[in-house]
Amino acid sequence: MNNSKRKISLKNIAALVLLIVFALFFILPFLWIISTSLKGDTQIFTIPPQWIPDTFNWENYAKVFDRMPFLIYLKNSVFITLFIIIGTVFSSSLVAYAFGCLNWRGRNGLFIFVLATMMLPLQVTLIPLFVLFKEIGWLNTFKPLIIPAFFGGGAFNIFLLRQFFLTIPKDLLDSARIDGCSELGIYWKIVLPLAKPALATVAILTFMFSWNDFISPLIYLSDKMKGTLALGLGMFVGQYVTEWAILMAASLLMMLPMILIFFFFQKYFIQGFTMSGLKE
Amino acid sequence: MNTFIENKKPKANYGKQTFTGYLFASPWIIGFLIFGLYPIGISFYYSLCQYDVLRIPQFIGLRNYEQLLFSDNYFWLSIWNTLFYTALRVPLCIAGSLLLAVLVNNAVRGVKIFRTIYFIPSIVTGVVLSALWLWILNPQYGLINSSIAYLGVQGPLWLLDPDWSKPSMVLMSLWSIGGGRMLVFLAALQGIPQHLYEVVEMDGGGWWAKFKNVTVPMISPVIFLWTILEVIFSLQVFVEAYVMTKGGPLNSTLFYNLYLYNRAFEDFDMGYASALAWLLLLITLGITALQFRLSKKWVHY
Amino acid sequence: MWNKIKTIGGIILISALLLALFIPSSKENNDGKIYIRYWYVTGAKEQIPYHVKKFNEIQNRIVVEPTALPWNEHEKKILTAILSEDPPDVINLVTPVAKWASRMALTPLDELIKKDSFDTSIFFPALWNEMNWQKKIFALPLYSNSYAFFYNKKLFREAGLNPEKPPSTWQEVKDFAKELTGRNSQNRFTQMGFIPQYGNLQTSILMAWQLGADFLLNDKKVDINNPMVIEAVTWEVNYYDDYSLKEVSSFMAGFGYADQHGFISEKVAMMVLDNTFIDQIKLYNPNLDYGVSVIPTFDGYETASSSGSWWAAIPRGSKNIDAAWEFLKFAVQEETQLEESASQQEILFPANQLAANDPSFIKGNEKIKTLVDMMEYAHSPTIVPLVHDIFWREFLSAREKTLHKIQKPEDALKQAEDVIQNQLDQAIEYDTYVRSKMNFGSLSD
Repeated sequence: MNNSKRKISLKNIAALVLLIVFALFFILPFLWIISTSLKGDTQIFTIPPQWIPDTFNWENYAKVFDRMPFLIYLKNSVFITLFIIIGTVFSSSLVAYAFGCLNWRGRNGLFIFVLATMMLPLQVTLIPLFVLFKEIGWLNTFKPLIIPAFFGGGAFNIFLLRQFFLTIPKDLLDSARIDGCSELGIYWKIVLPLAKPALATVAILTFMFSWNDFISPLIYLSDKMKGTLALGLGMFVGQYVTEWAILMAASLLMMLPMILIFFFFQKYFIQGFTMSGLKE
Repeated sequence: MNTFIENKKPKANYGKQTFTGYLFASPWIIGFLIFGLYPIGISFYYSLCQYDVLRIPQFIGLRNYEQLLFSDNYFWLSIWNTLFYTALRVPLCIAGSLLLAVLVNNAVRGVKIFRTIYFIPSIVTGVVLSALWLWILNPQYGLINSSIAYLGVQGPLWLLDPDWSKPSMVLMSLWSIGGGRMLVFLAALQGIPQHLYEVVEMDGGGWWAKFKNVTVPMISPVIFLWTILEVIFSLQVFVEAYVMTKGGPLNSTLFYNLYLYNRAFEDFDMGYASALAWLLLLITLGITALQFRLSKKWVHY
Repeated sequence: MWNKIKTIGGIILISALLLALFIPSSKENNDGKIYIRYWYVTGAKEQIPYHVKKFNEIQNRIVVEPTALPWNEHEKKILTAILSEDPPDVINLVTPVAKWASRMALTPLDELIKKDSFDTSIFFPALWNEMNWQKKIFALPLYSNSYAFFYNKKLFREAGLNPEKPPSTWQEVKDFAKELTGRNSQNRFTQMGFIPQYGNLQTSILMAWQLGADFLLNDKKVDINNPMVIEAVTWEVNYYDDYSLKEVSSFMAGFGYADQHGFISEKVAMMVLDNTFIDQIKLYNPNLDYGVSVIPTFDGYETASSSGSWWAAIPRGSKNIDAAWEFLKFAVQEETQLEESASQQEILFPANQLAANDPSFIKGNEKIKTLVDMMEYAHSPTIVPLVHDIFWREFLSAREKTLHKIQKPEDALKQAEDVIQNQLDQAIEYDTYVRSKMNFGSLSD
């Protein structure tokens, strides 16, 4: 990737400076958030901004648990996200298998159509789905959030997985077919195990989306005890009181699983984005 | 093979796998019928009605659309707001992350660190992103204004100023997604064969010539794909406006989806909201079709 | 090595998250008592309402489970709850009764009132008038707000004004405000006399009421573009001839709640505030030397104020109507309301007149007495019940536009009036249509 001759030229220094400026742009807000979450109320409103709090008000974090049923929301978020991941991974891999490993009439046309549905604004289906779920009694349950994930898991995931499946050598599949293995068997025993990295990526991207999803819980849930972390956080940014320190603490707590997962599974995150950048 | 769709195999294999093919694809197909096609159709019916879900729908023909198009200032305002936001965000996002990708690609050392740092904000989305930036952009005590106040400059009112509110949200959005998009372009850049650059060098071209004649054309499909996606995402902006500004100040952040949501869940006017939704669908289709048309001019496969 | 650590760490993380699934949620109750769910809209604090606690204490048959609803989404939540056919048994809201009643979302109370010979004259008339729809009663008022004019005596003295003579006309307010404005060395505001757009009560609406505007005629005709409203809005616009709107906005951006409130932190000298501020001041700035007077008005006109109404109702589909009714009756009776007011951190202004006029409520406090008296002049903020949200949205938008000098008052108001009228006509039409097709409001639903 590097050129064989590389001089430290002015251009390189300029590039480096730019890179550092951008890095600051991306990092500073984080540090500011952490710093704010530990401040007492009076220190937040200072000019110039105080980076290191005078006292480390760890109790701000405790107050989060007072102000919202954090643990219950955590549980709900985990529950919902878990099932969405399961549904998404399995159904999108099934569908991707059809597009990537099988050959059938109408396959290419349908695939383009699937991609085209990514354009659909979810507002168009929002209200009818709301009414539909009302009619079948699913309002105020987790079902409207979870069940749709089992039906294909989203065009983007299908696209990603298909990319990956296309790289599996056809001979492998064909020899299994000759040996009498059913397509489902091939899917389960050969393709899925090979595709573990890609599946992990789908799982992680799904996690990221579902953990932070605010709109679906907002629409379908009404009981306070059925809320998710995303919904709970929204409660804080309320009309009457904006308690900044506690809000920042709550945000960090909610981001914590995401940050940790990013830390441990960085590879898969990045893969998700890079895989869609490759020209295959 | 660098084609988007695979070449077809000999016809002999068709029949056997057709049934299986559709079987495996059926989850998506069924899902689309139930959660896609059906709602779209019903949505159109609702858009012709006065309906608030608590009571039965009343068919009123095209009255919702008439009202939308001819006597609803918020409609046009929200379209303007959304288009402005999109037009500001998409080019900045694509150009910015492309620039970053190019920089990182050519960095002397420590690529990994920069890559990671740039990517971290991507995990902050939705409500959390809104909450954080609500604080960062506080006109009196937020990070930005209090820092530059130290230097004697008075910062803008950001989210409280009708002229700055949309740019504020674009800024916030760029912070969040810039890293992820950069990774996409970085991967694409790393797939460009080196010898193409050397050809330009031999002809005496500098970095701009390289960029214009090699880089951009070679990754244009990726740029195109993500431009389309970014436009679609931008048109659907909602959470930030709902959480941070509720459409203000002076309705400067009343985005299309926020307006739709308000009509549906505050005014309880589902019919009108459905009409809004349908128009959004048409607008999205239109813009995407336009982009495909234009793509013939600059996208190389 | 590093990869191994990452993998192990990842597995531990996922296990920890999965553990969250085992967090216990609230348990089911099987002890023969009737459990009713009570959802109420909350502002800042989320203390359990007094009437809930007391009700649960004094009897054993019914248990009330309260849930506080954050302001932002409460309407949507209730909509979803009613549609899911498992609504709470009692709801406590602020938005107009008509909004919900006209949509058949509430259970009519007439028969329950008749059955118990419940005396409905105990409520302030301004509040009681909001509780009905199409000649049926759907809710009982719980609390109100009362507004009065608060002014900072210390700042008055510092500015050379007589602290015992608060302004009685708006012109005086304007003049006093000039004296009460202060700036620092960088020419930014340190204090201001009066900011019309700061506060819960819309100054222009208040003024329009004082000038005699009615906004809605005959329940059918919207009337906003009239001289009285124009005068009220123009007053506000002209107020900013003396100060830059941008500067004031920037000054206001630093305000917050509690001790950050503009009046409590002594940055604003005069304001129209509600009764809760008597206790807020005691809590956050007890040394504040202030007075409470009748709201200033225009020369020759009677003053006006606004009520605010928290009401409680029984949603359609509740499975415990009788128990809910018992709770409702308890919450509005004089004794409960008095005790509740006394026990809260912030004064809750009772909807029950008897409670409000009781000496133990007034506690010999002049300020409270003024607030009670102001209720006589109160108008309901539910100006156009059927399209309440639209009215307020349009009016506020028109006001903002005139304030920022984007439009002239007449034009902005006419625009608002047309939109509201249009929406109102459609709403009435829809309502008529629905009532001709659906069975409306019988108790045995």
